[in-house]
Amino acid sequence: MTVIEAKGLTYTYPGGTRRALEDVSITIEKGEFVILTGPSGCGKTTLCRCLNGLVPNFYGGKLEGEILVTGLKVSEHQIYELARHVGLVFQNPENQLFALFVEKDVAFGLENLGVPRDEIRKRVDWALQMTNIENLRERAPHELSGGQQQRVAIACVLAMQPDVMVLDEPTSFLDPLGAQQIFDVISRLNKELGITVVMVEHRLDLASRYSNHVVVMDKGKVVLDGEPKDVFSSEAARLIGVGIPKATRLSQVLEMSGVRLGRVPVTSEEASQVLKEVLSRD
Amino acid sequence: MSVFDGLRFRRGSSPIHQLDPRAKFFYVIVMFVVAVLFNELLPLVVLFLIQIPFVFVARVQREWIRSLRGAAFLAIIIFGFNFLFTYLSGQYELSYVLERSFAMSLRFIVLVESFSVFFLTTSPDHLGLALEQSHVPYEFCFAFTTAVRFVPVLAEEAQTIMDAQKTRGLELERGNFIKRIRNYIPILIPLIVNAIRRSLELAEAMESRAWGATEKRTNLYVLKLKKSDYVLALLSILLLVLAVYIRLFLPVPQLGVVLRI
Repeated sequence: MTVIEAKGLTYTYPGGTRRALEDVSITIEKGEFVILTGPSGCGKTTLCRCLNGLVPNFYGGKLEGEILVTGLKVSEHQIYELARHVGLVFQNPENQLFALFVEKDVAFGLENLGVPRDEIRKRVDWALQMTNIENLRERAPHELSGGQQQRVAIACVLAMQPDVMVLDEPTSFLDPLGAQQIFDVISRLNKELGITVVMVEHRLDLASRYSNHVVVMDKGKVVLDGEPKDVFSSEAARLIGVGIPKATRLSQVLEMSGVRLGRVPVTSEEASQVLKEVLSRD
Repeated sequence: MSVFDGLRFRRGSSPIHQLDPRAKFFYVIVMFVVAVLFNELLPLVVLFLIQIPFVFVARVQREWIRSLRGAAFLAIIIFGFNFLFTYLSGQYELSYVLERSFAMSLRFIVLVESFSVFFLTTSPDHLGLALEQSHVPYEFCFAFTTAVRFVPVLAEEAQTIMDAQKTRGLELERGNFIKRIRNYIPILIPLIVNAIRRSLELAEAMESRAWGATEKRTNLYVLKLKKSDYVLALLSILLLVLAVYIRLFLPVPQLGVVLRI
């Protein structure tokens, strides 16, 4: 089942001179874990904003082309209608928490939707448990580390039980361990709950093991779109400056120097497996 | 700044902290009204003293004393002006003028005292909830709690900006009074610009979490008035009635006269 379908999306921010998106067409199926990557300013964030209607409803301007998210035409629905289906997590965890303590923040979206109190209580508990932060319930946001804050932000969105979760560089303010914990939580939501994930990410070494679909953008256009190993091993990805996973890069270098590996590894485990096979071949 | 220090909430679990903010606010209002009803020293001293048990039950003595110390400066000015003008008018004898001037500064102290107890023992989120349940439009309650939430964030940011500007050679503690104020401009501008940028991101996050989806917002928490809240409200009403009765029907003697007896 197709969850997100964009056809010929073109968009310029009001007052902008350059097109932020140019003829973007992508299809994302239910349950996929999509990594969206590309150099800074290539339109990744703008595409994320299209997915829950911030573009064009919040930013203004005209969105050409068509985008359907969970069957809803984005340009014809209010952001709060889309918010039930698409959850958006932002880069800076600090600026998406506005309550004085965690539990209240997680409840915020549900309160806005007018969900009855008992139901809010249930869903807040559930979201805190899924993101593994039940112990932070009573804490104030400024007492938390960046990684904890970002997990709270994910819980906030999760409590609204969206079909799609969009994360715009959720780990760029975090250290590697914090990033790893975020990826684990997201992957759990993807696997256990079947939530479709679209994640903008540069740390492909860490993130690509969870993904089964990679989209690379450059200058407002989609340049590569496919399975991780195909995208990462393409010459175009390297030239654009995508941070290709080291395992894939290593295999490329080996191939160039004449070692035939047979398949392309993406994670270190795969690389070790492939290398073992090659070594035992001799 | 010390006055505000004495008003900043710190977590606590005393019976006073548990009271409903609405009941406490009612008590503050009553204190306010009673303090304004009297300009004699005796009742104001009584008002000052009856609040002290609250402070000790809430265990906020240290902060409370700090708030009083902060208020002392203004209290002295109030005393000075009252003394000067009543004395210069030449109609009253010195003991009366002294007592009246003391009363005026004590009235101010009583007001600061009751507000200080209120803010020291009421968590901002309870206050926000109380506002919501008192039918204040949600936008205002939200603005209030968000402002409180971002105080530590902005304070930290101000520190970072100050450090950054100092490494570029900005000297904050240099020059005369005017110059020193102007030194702060390179700190204020980035701080304000950042705050505006932050507010945009906040707005985006709010929109993404269904802000304004329905008129009938629900709330995870409800404040319920407990027995102790009714007791406090009742005591406040009694105090008010008593004060009005005394004001209308009984003469209030000068404290000096009472002490001499």
